[in-house]
Amino acid sequence: MFELIGIPPMLLFGQLMIGLINGVFYAMMSLGVAIIFGMLRIGNFVHGAQYMLGAFGAWYLLHLPDLFPGLGLPALGYWWALVIVPVAVGLVGAATERLFIRRVYDLEHAYGLLLTVGLAMVIEGLFNVRYGAAGQQYNVPETLKGVVNLGFMFLPIYRLWVIVAGIVVCVVTWFVIERTKLGSYLRAATENPDLVRAFGINVPRMLMLTYAFGVGLAGLAGVMAAPIYQVSPQMGQSIIITIFAVVVIGGMGSIFGAIFSGLMLGLIEGLTKVFYPQGSTTVIFVIMAIVLVFRPAGLFGKETSAFHAADMSNARSDSFLENGRLWLPVLAVIGAALPFLVYPVFAMKMLCFALFASAYNLVFGYVGLLAFGHAAFFGASAYVAAQSAAVWGFPPELAILAGVAMATVIGALFGWLAIRRQGLYFAMITLALAQIVYFYAIQASWTHGEDGIQQVPRGYLFGMIDLDQPLNMYYFVLAIFLAGFALIYRIIHSPFGQVLKSVRENEPRAISLGYSTDRFKLIAFTLSAMLAGLAGGTKAIVFQIASLTDLHFMTSAEALLMSLIGGVGTLLGPIVGAVVVVTMQKEFASLGSWVVVVQGAAFVLCVLFLRKGVVGTLEEYLSNRQARRAALAVADRPETPRAGAAS
Amino acid sequence: MNAVSTDNIIEASGLTKNFAGFAAVSDVDLNVRRHSIHALIGPNGAGKTTTFNLITKFLAPSSGRILYNGTDITSESPARVARRGIVRSFQISAIFPRMTVGENVRIALQRPLGTSFRFWQSERSLRVLSERVDELLTAVGLTDQRDQTAAGLPYGRKRALEFATTLALEPELMLLDEPTSGLGNEDVDRIAELIRKVSANRTILMVEHNLSVVSRLADMITVLARGRILAEGDYSEISNNQQVIEAYIGGEDD
Amino acid sequence: MTSSAWLTVRDLEGWYGESQALHGMNFEVRRGEVVTLLGRNGAGKTTTLRAIMGLLRKKTGEIRFADENLAGRLPEYIARRGIAYCPEERGIFASLSVEENLMLPLVVAEGGMALPDILELFPNLGERRASQGTKLSGGEQQMLAIARILRTGARLLLLDEPTEGLAPVIVQQIGSVVRQLKERGFTVLLVEQNFRFASKLADRHYVVENGKVIDTLDANDVAANAERIQKYLKV
Repeated sequence: MFELIGIPPMLLFGQLMIGLINGVFYAMMSLGVAIIFGMLRIGNFVHGAQYMLGAFGAWYLLHLPDLFPGLGLPALGYWWALVIVPVAVGLVGAATERLFIRRVYDLEHAYGLLLTVGLAMVIEGLFNVRYGAAGQQYNVPETLKGVVNLGFMFLPIYRLWVIVAGIVVCVVTWFVIERTKLGSYLRAATENPDLVRAFGINVPRMLMLTYAFGVGLAGLAGVMAAPIYQVSPQMGQSIIITIFAVVVIGGMGSIFGAIFSGLMLGLIEGLTKVFYPQGSTTVIFVIMAIVLVFRPAGLFGKETSAFHAADMSNARSDSFLENGRLWLPVLAVIGAALPFLVYPVFAMKMLCFALFASAYNLVFGYVGLLAFGHAAFFGASAYVAAQSAAVWGFPPELAILAGVAMATVIGALFGWLAIRRQGLYFAMITLALAQIVYFYAIQASWTHGEDGIQQVPRGYLFGMIDLDQPLNMYYFVLAIFLAGFALIYRIIHSPFGQVLKSVRENEPRAISLGYSTDRFKLIAFTLSAMLAGLAGGTKAIVFQIASLTDLHFMTSAEALLMSLIGGVGTLLGPIVGAVVVVTMQKEFASLGSWVVVVQGAAFVLCVLFLRKGVVGTLEEYLSNRQARRAALAVADRPETPRAGAAS
Repeated sequence: MNAVSTDNIIEASGLTKNFAGFAAVSDVDLNVRRHSIHALIGPNGAGKTTTFNLITKFLAPSSGRILYNGTDITSESPARVARRGIVRSFQISAIFPRMTVGENVRIALQRPLGTSFRFWQSERSLRVLSERVDELLTAVGLTDQRDQTAAGLPYGRKRALEFATTLALEPELMLLDEPTSGLGNEDVDRIAELIRKVSANRTILMVEHNLSVVSRLADMITVLARGRILAEGDYSEISNNQQVIEAYIGGEDD
Repeated sequence: MTSSAWLTVRDLEGWYGESQALHGMNFEVRRGEVVTLLGRNGAGKTTTLRAIMGLLRKKTGEIRFADENLAGRLPEYIARRGIAYCPEERGIFASLSVEENLMLPLVVAEGGMALPDILELFPNLGERRASQGTKLSGGEQQMLAIARILRTGARLLLLDEPTEGLAPVIVQQIGSVVRQLKERGFTVLLVEQNFRFASKLADRHYVVENGKVIDTLDANDVAANAERIQKYLKV
């Protein structure tokens, strides 16, 4: 057989075919995400879970007699599934829009993303509880079994069918949107929903149907994927972040961009598998980074220059709850007593995550940037610290510093790439960039893949203090936490912090006062990455391990959840949130995989009912009480002209 | 340095801005005399706010050139021209709602200190600015509200606060975008008085709909219509200009 | 007098955020009339139309149309009661072709104009059916914005400054279109700054300043009161 640039053609075509098939799924999925984003301005993170629902739907239909024995139900095969499942998943989508998503349209975009992250965790978590990591087998339907001989390779008929059917679905969808009356409603409503309503069209119902349709597409992709990939609870999770990257590359909201980029990136991924296998998992994210540098709006996206930071802060700067000078000693005292109340290891976990969440809150709460990739800084630092301590024999303090340095460098780089975009874009970009680090750690040899770097020695602090003594270790961690807390407080209440605050509250105005706001945001982002690295490096020394969990996007989501539960943009919120979440994880640990479900539900409930978080709600209560008292004081003394004087 | 006509603080020539196929501003030559109050007026859609955004660099012109004190600022960033001394206000009151009234003004005063990137320094270092903050708040009548959050101010007072913040930068050229829109009569008078007061040593370019304010304040008026300059002159010239009358109330032969 | 009113706006106040734009508008429109709201920039005319259409959420007062108060209703409901809106910025959709723009508004009642009739009224649009909506000239875009609301069967048209920024020839064309619409029995509430344009069309003028009606003039009184009107509107 002849060879092509040293590659056997069978291998080349085989990988290209696999790439094309992946590309078809990417295209179908990102099409749905793009449609939903265009109309609803929602970054539909639950899209992966909905795709997984589609695959399971097909599997359920096939196993109806086993699932409901005695009812005499028939086993419904692939072709039934192809019709029934997308409709069913679409209906679930319509209900989801009605019950959940509709409630966040008028809120900051961040909440839409958080809500769908929570929903994804709940759905995937539930399936994980039931089915675990093991995949279910779904056989290729009889009619599509067999292979065709293309001369240069044998192609399974089912795969051919997927390619043809997938592309047809994409083209038909594109046609409906771009060329039909129905599509004209959609396009018009994307441009100017108010005017479309004034023309008598029920836009809220259109939003629901659009969402249902996008979700139905995911369901259809799921059915088509069932015979190719394993039907498993994790199948959606592993694809959704890639889909987000594809949508960013194509240009957010561009229908054609989503289809084209999906197919192309699938092919490029396939080619990478041939020529540089190690790079195949990250190539899409790397391409995304490159595209962002040269075309920030994506390949087919239109440039939008909306200045809009997500102001989700819940603090009042003059409140005692924000007074770090008061709380630093209080936290020191509580911290000093803590190891006598709970296990030191548990207490250290709380401290590490409290620092991590506080670092995250610095960009999310105080600058208003919805970052979604802080696991990269936390985890990268953990790996570098672990490697320095375990392999290079660094003392613990230097190991942690090495980790911090790495996190800072990565933070500056990611920040530079992402800072020009805001809101949802910023979230999707930071998420995708963090995936590069994650996949790197899976593949590099020094990170030891699934095992991670284990048995990291705690060593002697400054060559003297034995950190294998639990209390020594604990107080070292407490010192780091307090130092980090103090630094964050200082940053917030510095001249720099004042400018950050002004950027969050009104960026165009800050610019008009002469501040180059991007530079301030970049520095804040880098500082946040540095502090996240401090938390990660410390965590590696404490727990003597750096693992993929540290880099997983769920770790980023946890930082977000902690900030949200405690109160976004408050000084103490992330700490409270970390305590709640870490405790919750411990309490539910016996429930195993239920933890994810509980966390996801916490996300959803927070977004719907506790947007201010614990500390933010307390703050609101206190300030209302204060206002009431002031009003009473004025009422008692009618000669006082103004209520303002009473404060 | 450019030797010509240093009497003009702004010399814009051939300014054009195209949006998706239509020219919002086309071939506008605008000279603003130093230490004058210059008003831009015109019917809706005449291109006033676009012109404004072009001068403050919030929009990039499709073609044309802008000189500020003889220096070409056509390709500079908005933050850069702000640092040069061109400071604008916005149609919707631009304040920092959750900062206190005092902090709102201080943030503008803070930049010249050169410490704005110092994240390691306490904000107590900004106390040196307190006196100036108080002066500025007194100037706009907000002294009593200094420690309140800005969000709680009535609308008219917010505009006053915005004004104080703009003033804090000691701008050589102030651009005010409809400074009296949305205000009650009393507030309109207060703001108009303020504008007159602060115009002493600086230049003011404003877009304004309230013609009684314009007639009271402006030394020079430029009338824009359909993205072009229709007429220029003082109030009596403008108000008797036949073209201007037609632009506002329609031509004879319609 | 109120008995024959079809649209009655009473004590309408409206806000954009905290900024109050309407301070108690009062006026009425009878079936078959052309009525204008005249006034300078920023007087509250556009806001009034947006309030009638349900696009301004924050408002108080009454908007009575065909014996129903529309003040708390959503835009899609109001449109289906038979009111159509042509916004000041024209609102031509860039991602839609001319034809799609034309066919977009929902038909809400019988008796809308047929497409051939509309194209007869606006011959340019027929030639450019397939072009992208925003590729049209300003005048053509304005024609399209008016044309597309004639199909719907709505009998009350809200036109917001249809002459704004247009050349005199086009202004004349639009004037003749409005006249023909009146002949066909449409009722028109017209917002204008261009008084000379409005004076030839309208049965009645309301002068708006600072968010309320400060004067009312019947078409017959216009000639006698030209000075007074000039004073309201001119620089």
